[in-house]
Amino acid sequence: MRDKKRKTLEWRKLDNSAKLFPISAGKKYSTVFRISAVLNEQIQPEILEKAVRIALEKYKSFRVKLKNGFFWNYLEHNTKEPIIEPETDYPCKYINPKTNNQYLFKVTYFERKINIDIFHSLTDGNSGAIFFKEIIYNYLEMSHPEEFKEEIRTYRKAEYTIEDSYIKNFDKKAKNNNSSKKAYLLKGGKLKLGAISAIHEIIDLSKLKEEAKNQNCTITQYLTAVLIYSIYQVNFVNPKNRPIKICIPVNLKKYFQSETITNFFSYITVEAEMEKENLDTFEKILEFVKKEFEKKLTQDEIKKTMSGNVKLGINPFIKAIPLVLKRPIVRLSYLEIRKYTTMTFSNIGRIGIIGKYQQYIDNFFMLIAPEQAEKIKCSACSYENKITVTFTSILNNDNIEKIFCQFLKDKGIDVHIESNGINE
Amino acid sequence: MLYPQKLNQKKGNLIVKISIGISVIIAIILIVVNHYITPNIKWAGIANAGIIYIWITIIYAINKNTNIAGHVLLQMLAIAILTIYIDYKTGLKGWAINISIPIIIIIANITMLILTIISHKRYIRYAIYQLVICLFSLVPFYFIYEKMIVHKILSYISTGVCTINFLVTICLCSKEVKDAITRKFSI
Repeated sequence: MRDKKRKTLEWRKLDNSAKLFPISAGKKYSTVFRISAVLNEQIQPEILEKAVRIALEKYKSFRVKLKNGFFWNYLEHNTKEPIIEPETDYPCKYINPKTNNQYLFKVTYFERKINIDIFHSLTDGNSGAIFFKEIIYNYLEMSHPEEFKEEIRTYRKAEYTIEDSYIKNFDKKAKNNNSSKKAYLLKGGKLKLGAISAIHEIIDLSKLKEEAKNQNCTITQYLTAVLIYSIYQVNFVNPKNRPIKICIPVNLKKYFQSETITNFFSYITVEAEMEKENLDTFEKILEFVKKEFEKKLTQDEIKKTMSGNVKLGINPFIKAIPLVLKRPIVRLSYLEIRKYTTMTFSNIGRIGIIGKYQQYIDNFFMLIAPEQAEKIKCSACSYENKITVTFTSILNNDNIEKIFCQFLKDKGIDVHIESNGINE
Repeated sequence: MLYPQKLNQKKGNLIVKISIGISVIIAIILIVVNHYITPNIKWAGIANAGIIYIWITIIYAINKNTNIAGHVLLQMLAIAILTIYIDYKTGLKGWAINISIPIIIIIANITMLILTIISHKRYIRYAIYQLVICLFSLVPFYFIYEKMIVHKILSYISTGVCTINFLVTICLCSKEVKDAITRKFSI
């Protein structure tokens, strides 16, 4: 029957942190992250395409395109279907909102691997993983219909919202706790423009857990300390006495009530003044990191950071600036803001997969886009008994990655390396 | 193996880049030929304006994500600018603002009027372009007000057609227009 109803265009405002990404992003600063799943079988593109379409029916908030408003960008319902392509480009490349049928995510595949590259305006790593898992579940159900014939995933029907949880949870009176010190920036020659090296260090999770337990710390604390130690060992020429600052994104859903599928993250910054604090051994660095986490990973401190960012986004003077003027202003200020972080280390934690599906999946990877100031970015996720730490880099050497790996091996932890071969 | 051996082998825009390069070379040759062969008649500027117009049209057409109302708006603006430039280069006789621009505006408005009537259910996608076209269509009215026009009849007709277009739009699609303004100007 012909639909006689007049169509209304569904649209929504970007959440508070997502507002800045389209204004600041470009080819050199993509703000794209990737999640990959390595299956135990070759990928069938036709099935993958169907799997993505079905996932989009459930997660409608991903079926959007980015539009320019007069003051801000906004998201509008996308009637087209996303394009599924073989992997041909480097990971986490800028997603031009005018390509890929205007979707803000891109699904690609290579042999046994499925990738999803997501523009950060759409969502954060944790919610991105939820959507990606839905694609993987759909894919496996369609590629093995007999196996999953009786599988009804009703217990996963969690209702997600697209509310702006930042606005709901921020505190008007909270004082800004951002550090005013610029960070030590990694040194070294760069790869040719556009190239990104990806190195996956696949670590035995049980042994890492044991080691972290012996050191009386969490895995994230331990890996952060190893990162700082690796930078200190091979990439630390610091005449300006700048601290090594590791930015660690925090999933705010653990601290505040929220069911949103859009962005809801903040960060803490571990600020290691190597000379001043005399951090010349791993043990000292680890103790320092533990104290920093204890001090900064509290609801009050996180609220302060989050509220500071929200206040900026809801400032009436900033809101009233037309988008065409906001863009150059934000891009110029971002050139400076980015100098306040040495490296980002994002650990999205365990990617939980329902038992029956696990036999078809070998591993998951998480990757985040490096950029001119943060030349290396580090991310991690765990699956079954593996935690994969991934370094994405625009430097033409892999010294930090090697030291990181060697350190863990020296501690008796098994590490297996995979890469895209750019820095070999 | 987790990654293809050869990454970033995109050649998608290479043909466009080569074609633009060839166009630039042709444009330079035209200027040089014009300068040495017929220095009294400056025809190279007009030819190059035509090349620029063609490229604006091609690049906009390559981008598959623009809708038909966007094409109408772009063509209206591009042809108007092109005719003003040709008029200017050929002695500024005023035919562009007296004749061409009103005709271009009439055609653009009639096109949008037809689109609005036959596909007003999809009007949500045209609304903002329609408003901009109506806004630009008031330019001949300004020319009349400023007494820049000798032959006023076409300008009156274009203003009339624009007014009808605007009124039909408001009658058929006022909700969509309101929604489009809310979306675009959301703060």
